[in-house]
Amino acid sequence: MIEIESIGKHYGCRVALENFSLRIESGELFGLVGPNGAGKSTLIKILATLQPPDSGRARVNGKDVTAEPSSVRAVIGYLPDVPGLYQDMRVEEFLEFFADAFHLREPRRRQAVDRALARSGLERRRNDFVEQLSFGMKQRLVLAKTLLHDPPVLLLDEPATGLDPLARIELRELLKELNREGLTIFLSSHILSDLEDICTRVALIADGRNAAGLDGQSVLSLSAPSDSRVACEVEVLGDLQFATRASSGFSGAQLVSTQGQRLRVELPGGSEQGTAWLQHLLSAGVKIVHFDSRGPGLEERYRQAFEKNRPGGEQ
Amino acid sequence: MNPMIRKELRQRMRERRSWILPSIYIGVLGAVVAMAYFFTLSESPWQRGGDIQGAQIGVTVFITVVFAQLSLLLLLAPVFSAGSLTIEKEQRTLPMLLTSLLSPAEIWYGKFVSALLFLTLLLVSALPVLSLAFSLGGVGPAEVVRATAMTLLVLASISALGLYFSSIFRRSVHSTAVTYAAVIALTAITFIVFTMIESHWQTKQAQITRPAGVSAPEMPRYYSIPLYLNPFYAVTSALMHTRHKFPDWLICTLVFLFLGLAAAFLAFRNIRRRGESG
Repeated sequence: MIEIESIGKHYGCRVALENFSLRIESGELFGLVGPNGAGKSTLIKILATLQPPDSGRARVNGKDVTAEPSSVRAVIGYLPDVPGLYQDMRVEEFLEFFADAFHLREPRRRQAVDRALARSGLERRRNDFVEQLSFGMKQRLVLAKTLLHDPPVLLLDEPATGLDPLARIELRELLKELNREGLTIFLSSHILSDLEDICTRVALIADGRNAAGLDGQSVLSLSAPSDSRVACEVEVLGDLQFATRASSGFSGAQLVSTQGQRLRVELPGGSEQGTAWLQHLLSAGVKIVHFDSRGPGLEERYRQAFEKNRPGGEQ
Repeated sequence: MNPMIRKELRQRMRERRSWILPSIYIGVLGAVVAMAYFFTLSESPWQRGGDIQGAQIGVTVFITVVFAQLSLLLLLAPVFSAGSLTIEKEQRTLPMLLTSLLSPAEIWYGKFVSALLFLTLLLVSALPVLSLAFSLGGVGPAEVVRATAMTLLVLASISALGLYFSSIFRRSVHSTAVTYAAVIALTAITFIVFTMIESHWQTKQAQITRPAGVSAPEMPRYYSIPLYLNPFYAVTSALMHTRHKFPDWLICTLVFLFLGLAAAFLAFRNIRRRGESG
């Protein structure tokens, strides 16, 4: 379990985190999303005991990151945003070194290294130098190193950055598998589709604070389909302005965007509201060539939460 | 064994310089010994038909090798220590070390021991060259041990200083440059400052008129403070016989111990704080 209570962190006069709070339950696969510079990496570094918070407190598995850093390090596996590697070491030597660094003794050390090699698919490359591995393999090696001491909590900062699509899929599958084994995983990522695919919940962060979507929630549940709002999109034939005016006559319809001949709205309620809105447009005489209705995905909810903060975004 | 020591030694011995440097080092020392030997012979009474004392040549060769060895090792010490923490920052492996169960002291100790072990390897590889002086006489094993022990202490302090600068800076080039500046300050500047102080003292004494047969008093020891920081003087003091209750070699030992321990303490603190700078 990870508990973050009103964490604050400043770099000089720049605010990195301010009054940020979050609670992640044991066994969750939890995502953290936000724009660049929002404070994601700082938050993960604080949880990894690399930086002390200026205010507030954070606990990992009940251990305070400031008061008991060594105890926290024993229960976390940390993957930095730009992980480094000893290029002049062999794959097996690299893992053995970190197994030693986590004070694993024989025979557990040997088992941990073998398991890490098997898990990362690098068994055949165990005697190769790290510099000979591809980027995806290196990322797998770092993740394997992160799992060496069987930590119950994983802190992953942008783990999919730079990976090719196949490597991303493999990473997603590995994270799902680890989560099924009972690991609590907290990861930040810019790749929303990945988070949507694997996370049970996602927290929003902006300017170092808890950010809220339009529904006022700063933590979005992704495991259960939302039945509180539905996003609908139509492609119309003819005058889009006419369709927009017709849509505004439907109770609760909130215009999201217009682009080309497409009109996007968000409606309170479930999918039946989408059907009712479609009928309303048709009865108003709008000619529709395409209709799509779905609950708002992570991308949509992210856009709602953050677009208003971007220069030129909706205010 | 500390995993950092094993890792550092493994990586160091894989580098090309792991065999190039000792080769150059032994080659240079051998050349210095040969030059010292032939130069002493050419300057000796033997060349003019007189007798030569082998002990004289032995002492000259020994002193020359000790100073040449110290000069070379002072040039090499920053190479092994000043980049050892910055390289972890440059290749972004420091966060992974800091989030392992290795303590800052273990990380520092691993880096320090591996740097010092390589310097010790060079020092030991030169022992046969140094021991050539035995065959010529004038030098005993005690002198060799004392000179080697003081050289090691000086190198340990310089390595600790290099590690301290390595814990401050982000780039190896910066920490190495500052460590070299510190070595120059300890070797050249302390000597220049001492020479100025000594010259001032002698000038002052020359102006004082004394009765016939009364010699000028000995220069107070605190005038020699800059020298106690000088690596060459530290090694020289280890070879000198002195009548003082607190001999210079003891003061030099304490000074270099303090320097090394202070640098180690500050380096621990910086390693612990490393994550804070992002």
